[in-house]
Amino acid sequence: MAKLTEKHNYEGTLVCVEGIDGSGKSTQLALLRDWLKASGKDVIYTEWNSSPLISQTTKLAKKKNMLSPRTFSLLHAVDFADRLKQIIAPALKAGFIVLADRYAFTAFARDVARGVDPKWVRQVYDFAIRPDLTIYFDIDPKTSIERICFNRTPKFYEAGMDLKLSNDPFESYLIFQTRVVNEYKKMIKEFDIVKLDANDSIHSKQVKIRKMLNKILADKGVE
Amino acid sequence: MKKFKTKHGYEGLLIVIEGTDGSGKSTQLELLKCSLQDQSYGVMVSEWKTSRLIADVIDDAKERNLLNATTYSLLYAADFADRLENQIIPALKSGFIVLLDRYYYTALARDVVRGQNIEWVKNLYDYAPEPDLVFYLDMPVAVLLKRIIGTTGLDFYESGRDVGFSTDFYKSFEIYQNKCLEQYEKMKKLYGFINIDGTKTIPQIHKIMNKEVQKILDTGILN
Repeated sequence: MAKLTEKHNYEGTLVCVEGIDGSGKSTQLALLRDWLKASGKDVIYTEWNSSPLISQTTKLAKKKNMLSPRTFSLLHAVDFADRLKQIIAPALKAGFIVLADRYAFTAFARDVARGVDPKWVRQVYDFAIRPDLTIYFDIDPKTSIERICFNRTPKFYEAGMDLKLSNDPFESYLIFQTRVVNEYKKMIKEFDIVKLDANDSIHSKQVKIRKMLNKILADKGVE
Repeated sequence: MKKFKTKHGYEGLLIVIEGTDGSGKSTQLELLKCSLQDQSYGVMVSEWKTSRLIADVIDDAKERNLLNATTYSLLYAADFADRLENQIIPALKSGFIVLLDRYYYTALARDVVRGQNIEWVKNLYDYAPEPDLVFYLDMPVAVLLKRIIGTTGLDFYESGRDVGFSTDFYKSFEIYQNKCLEQYEKMKKLYGFINIDGTKTIPQIHKIMNKEVQKILDTGILN
């Protein structure tokens, strides 16, 4: 766990948002991006499972329900490694503010909730760069499912149906995502993560985030 | 005779053939498979990088030069995990003799030559069952070069061109394969490889392998 716990020396700034689906993290990141762009900063945005190398394969495999927890974990690691080396690291070197919708912590939370060894998965992501700011949006799984599944059934893997926790996708979702949330909570101290209450208003969360980021940028000497 | 105990605890036998490209692994695997089937044993063969899910992604990514050392390692690890959990372990559990063309030793050799930390790579494969027999086909680089040039021709990754040792194919192949051999050399003792001189004739090599396998079968382990 060398890199994830050590400060990086790049000129740029890495900001990550974490939390289960429906916790409002993408909304907050979009607001942050628009604000940073409007104030003339160099910003790029990258999201979980989006690398051209592997994301389509992973999505297809998920549709066919053919992934074991270990393969699931490694495929997401491929995606992450690809984006880290091709997008995130170069942008940080060039002094950009990099906004990441989910980061290695997503893998730590989900994979461990699937029964993968916590040490193993942390070691797999050993090459990850430590973010300057990681915000975790805390929401209880019941509220989360009400937000994202008001008109659909939870998907196979998001409900953790591969773990055979329950035959009912809604019930399975609650059990599985509760595990995920517990893993996130364990990481708050381990990785110096800032927890925000997802139930707060969009405005109040955004005010807090901008304040934290401004301080980080000021400390770095970025105007 | 004392009953042989498998190293992995499953009912079947796990037998691996290792060696660099062009060392004659597939030929020997085929011969061994036939001779075991002739004796009415159930045999399952699995080759490196053949998972339905990931093998094509690797080929395509190689074709388009999309891989860096980390994604290279992780993709192969994902391929391995998929085959291990979907083919190899189920076959071992049902009492098959599983013959493998390459095992994680290949990854250890190749990834370390590509600059990865060996402990990191070991961790990727640390859940893999220990084979009951590992045959290593030892071939000098000069012979390998002739074989490869005479058959498939020099390939970009097999020549380690991605690592940047030399832009000359011949030179790069020589350096890369020599470095891989160094890694195999270190693993021989550590993992108890049965070292076979790869320059022997095909029947001679087959005889050696058969004898070793027969020793285990004679204990009545699969009866």
